[in-house]
Amino acid sequence: MIASPQANLTTKPPADEPQGLTYRPNVDIVDNGGELVLAADMPGSAADQIEVSFDDGVLTISAPVPARSHPGNPVRQEYGVGDYRRSFQLGEGFDASEIAADYRSGVLTVRVPRQAAVRSRTIPVSTG
Amino acid sequence: MQMLRVGYPHPLEDLREEMDRLWTSLTTAPPLHGWTRQASTEPFPAVNIFETDEAILLEAELPGLDPAELEITAVDDGLTLKGRRGEAEAGPAAETAEKRPARPTWHRRERGVGSFERRLTLPTAVDPEQVEAKLSNGVLTVTCPKAPACRPHRIAVSTG
Repeated sequence: MIASPQANLTTKPPADEPQGLTYRPNVDIVDNGGELVLAADMPGSAADQIEVSFDDGVLTISAPVPARSHPGNPVRQEYGVGDYRRSFQLGEGFDASEIAADYRSGVLTVRVPRQAAVRSRTIPVSTG
Repeated sequence: MQMLRVGYPHPLEDLREEMDRLWTSLTTAPPLHGWTRQASTEPFPAVNIFETDEAILLEAELPGLDPAELEITAVDDGLTLKGRRGEAEAGPAAETAEKRPARPTWHRRERGVGSFERRLTLPTAVDPEQVEAKLSNGVLTVTCPKAPACRPHRIAVSTG
């Protein structure tokens, strides 16, 4: 659906690394009210070196990807292998201390909960 | 058509994307269903293939895939990669929906779901019974030892 005005999400251009290319992973971002859930396709990352940082409203995910060399002559090369990096400008009201992330099957999932006071609540309407 | 998303998506952007997909599907050969939501005519998945004297090695990136949903078939010099990524693996909204009944809001949806099938012709015939495949951290590596007749043999030269 169309993005709600709560979170202004923009991406920054990928960082240029001196050696090798840095790629911008495809992501899904879902807002379920209590938290923002981000899933990024980052296959081949060095799992213990993945970095997730949240600074001043900007969420950055990055991971080094070790080169995968194979013996023999390259017969067909349809994609390149490189590090991943991407940043997102999140709205206000997120709780940085409760961010959780896990990496499984090449997919990095990050959960960014909203601060408790900011979560929307339904306001009962009294009648009569 | 590549689209750069910046800031708020225009309210009609979803419609435009849908029209692009429709147009592309009408004007080009049916593309294999890729794992990005942008209309693409590139076959999926992209592969890197290497060849030694003994074997052919293939690598592809398939993140978020349950190995049980991956089917690899080899016959002669043909290799087929077939599989699917379901909502549970791909979409963070799947488990979200379980936790909260209200419909979640998608701010960005670039990772696709669905099935794919790609048939590749390898440089030489391979021995199907010795083909090995490994899926680790979303990277698929398939090692196909060549059929004995396809390996180079040193020929002895007789004299006299």
